[in-house]
Amino acid sequence: MVSGCLARIAYSDVRHNFLPHYLAAVGVLLITPVIFGLSELTAQMAAQPLEIMPLLMGIILLTPILAPEQNECILETVRSKKMSRHIVNAMRIACALVLLSVLIFALGWYMRCNDSEVTVKMCLGALAGAFAIGSLGFFCAAVTDNIIVGYMVSLMYLIMNFFLRRELGKFFLMSMTYGIKGCKPVLAVSGAVLIAAAMIYRRAVKNER
Amino acid sequence: MMLFRIECKKIFRSAAFIVYCAISLLFFLTNYYSDCADVEYSSGGSVAVEDHDRIMDGALNSLMGDYASNRYICYPYGFYKSVHLKEKKRDKVKEYLKEITGADDKGFEEILSKGEVYYEGYSTEKMYSYHDIPVKEGFEYERFCEIMADVDDMLGGGSIYDPENLMYSFSLVPMPEEDIKAEQDAFIKEDKITGGLARLFCDYVGIDLGILPVFAAAWLTAADRKRRMHELVYTRDISSVKLVFARYAALLFTMFIPVAAEMLIALIQALVVYRGESMDMLAFFKLPMIWLIPILMFSTAVGVLLTEVFSSPVAILVQVVIWFRSVVMTDFPLSGETGKFTLVCRHNTAFGREIFLAGMDDFIFSRIFWTIVSLAMMLLAAAVYSAKRGGSFNGIRLFGKDSIFRRKA
Amino acid sequence: MENRIVIKNMDKYYGRKQALFGIDLTIEQGMYGLLGRNGAGKTTLMKVIAALHKKKRGEVTVCGVPVEEASKIRSMIGYLPQDFSMYPNMRTDEALDYLGALSGIPSKERRKRVNELLRTVNLIEHRHKKVKQLSGGMKRRLGIAQALIHDPKVLIVDEPTAGLDPEERIRFRNLLCETAEERIVILSTHIVGDIESTCENIAVMDEGRILWKGTVGELLENARGHVYTANIEKQYMAQIKKEYIVTGMIAQAEYTTVTIVSDAEPDLPNAVLTEPDLEGAYMYCLRSNGCDLKGGEL
Repeated sequence: MVSGCLARIAYSDVRHNFLPHYLAAVGVLLITPVIFGLSELTAQMAAQPLEIMPLLMGIILLTPILAPEQNECILETVRSKKMSRHIVNAMRIACALVLLSVLIFALGWYMRCNDSEVTVKMCLGALAGAFAIGSLGFFCAAVTDNIIVGYMVSLMYLIMNFFLRRELGKFFLMSMTYGIKGCKPVLAVSGAVLIAAAMIYRRAVKNER
Repeated sequence: MMLFRIECKKIFRSAAFIVYCAISLLFFLTNYYSDCADVEYSSGGSVAVEDHDRIMDGALNSLMGDYASNRYICYPYGFYKSVHLKEKKRDKVKEYLKEITGADDKGFEEILSKGEVYYEGYSTEKMYSYHDIPVKEGFEYERFCEIMADVDDMLGGGSIYDPENLMYSFSLVPMPEEDIKAEQDAFIKEDKITGGLARLFCDYVGIDLGILPVFAAAWLTAADRKRRMHELVYTRDISSVKLVFARYAALLFTMFIPVAAEMLIALIQALVVYRGESMDMLAFFKLPMIWLIPILMFSTAVGVLLTEVFSSPVAILVQVVIWFRSVVMTDFPLSGETGKFTLVCRHNTAFGREIFLAGMDDFIFSRIFWTIVSLAMMLLAAAVYSAKRGGSFNGIRLFGKDSIFRRKA
Repeated sequence: MENRIVIKNMDKYYGRKQALFGIDLTIEQGMYGLLGRNGAGKTTLMKVIAALHKKKRGEVTVCGVPVEEASKIRSMIGYLPQDFSMYPNMRTDEALDYLGALSGIPSKERRKRVNELLRTVNLIEHRHKKVKQLSGGMKRRLGIAQALIHDPKVLIVDEPTAGLDPEERIRFRNLLCETAEERIVILSTHIVGDIESTCENIAVMDEGRILWKGTVGELLENARGHVYTANIEKQYMAQIKKEYIVTGMIAQAEYTTVTIVSDAEPDLPNAVLTEPDLEGAYMYCLRSNGCDLKGGEL
């Protein structure tokens, strides 16, 4: 019963609330070959497009998870229902992550078909980075109740990565491009922590259950 | 004036502004502040010289290698892109190479066979490099540039063969002693240290001012609608121009506050790092005002105008693209990067006073240009606001649907 | 399971500001009205009952279930917020279906319920319209439909008729009365007419306190002997408004007939004691509880 309801909610959410975001993420995938060369790249060269573009997708897909309920009147109505907001949000995050994975693996597969050295591990690394930065946007939007702040922080963190690089230590988003090891697991865990922290915050402070 | 004060207060209390300040400071501290923590009197790097023989030699050998490997490296959007040419274009490059080397078909094949084979990474694809292929005696530099321009065109632009960048790609030499000395003198005597540092300051702060204000502007413009206040505001008797400009002024004023704080920090840092030197105490307040305010004005205007027109955060997307074009897609030299229409001017060094001054006319032109564009955009925003108030315009909806700011149902 | 809501000595704070003071209330099956001025605490009280806000002290049970058990409470309660809103791009039936899914109703049953309810609230012809295309009244009706989607034992409606035209308002009241036959319906309003025509039991609230509770008849009884009408020449109107609580005014050609609430007989030449209406009784209730009515303003 619950799974049927969840499927219904997911379908409506995707169709009415997140379709533009999903399309934008696909758009990012489609412009990748225009901006980057994708064929015949060594692993390190292939890492650049594989790391940068998914970061944008992560921001686009995960930051606006709470956007449909920015209008408090809507939030009030949906909060009064039995289904926990956390379950709905978790499901939206799951949908975003599924799409993110599909897009990243599609990009990786395309590059591989064009004789670039891309491995599954690299794709997973790209996913970890995208998940981390998207979660950062989600967290900031959840805490400030302001989606724009979410976009601002996540985009600025992305920009900082271009300037600070290694100085960001384990939180460097483009570690594969620079051949730095050990960043991706930290990013994946940070993403999960940020999402959990956002949900705990909404539960504790905003009484969202 | 009262409206201005109220708007400022509103901005001060918003999360978007607080985060704006935090990011701006963080950006400043991690970039400019940490870069300037040590005493430095000269860049001591390399310098590009306009040595035509050197340029032609370098470019010819590089092009030979690219032709043989059929792999050309370009940075059309600031990122690595390798281009493969199709048969027809490849033949054209071959003709050009023959023209430059003065070789016939047989001679060319001979030259081609001199390439050294190498492999990139774990790739099994053969790559070729050439070192001592000579340019035909007496070959005209003008003609050479024409050829390079056409090659760059065939590659889709952004290649190392772009005639404007040839000097930086193939003719970099270590800076001679006397140039280092001259640079030091200019930095200490003419720039009085802070003048040079102020340029570097502008370079770094300009980068975040090219993007950050659009968020706060979009937020403030959308705030009325989000709080469902817009109809209340619409019916007041204040003129649209007055209201829109009061808000604009408030945004500019508040968003300049962290920049002003950063100027002060930069000055104090300079006083500590270069203690004992004679410095221009006002340098941090003069150039940055001219350099940075148009950037702030423009990115804020984009935020206000597009959010007003589309009632959606599309302004953020547009500004990201403008910012990307202007910051990431810059060409090789990061110093003296000023064109007539450059928004975010780059000069990533405290030195190079001469290069900067050489581009001064364009620099001033660009500052005035963007100021006027910003004001014109704000006038347009006031017109849009006025039309929305009168009900003759309701904003353009993207995707034929309401955006996140419009969930008023 | 008992079919009533019991609130015992409940306090609610927003940060340091106390919003509700020692609320004691028992609400039985049928329509129950919460009457009070804007800011009286009606919405806060309703949100605590709907488990949307946490109380600080006291006890609140809905049909025997304490409000702390939010999930259980939510499956028992239907809530229509003051400013009902829904994702604007969804179609009317989709929106209802979505909210039904959020209430955990299986899909077959949901489909049946959606059609049933759209028919009940007279929206079946508009089911393909997007939410943003609905008029204010239609949206309210969609609101009540969504609150009833899971057939809740308790229906909480906050200022449901605000902004509706008279025809819509009557239709809406009737709809509420029909639904109240088998459940508890709590209705909050500052529009006295809404209560008058629908509720038997009411509570009057002001500044976070329950001032009075009982039946509509009792409220009217309380005010009996304190409501007067008088014909006043226009030039004296300002003074009258200053001195008395004016609950009604009918402008005639030369004078204005005013309805006044007063403890003692007013010192006016042609004042006549009159049968109180609910509006007058409500005003008298506020006044007799020491509320500051600022020159008779509601």
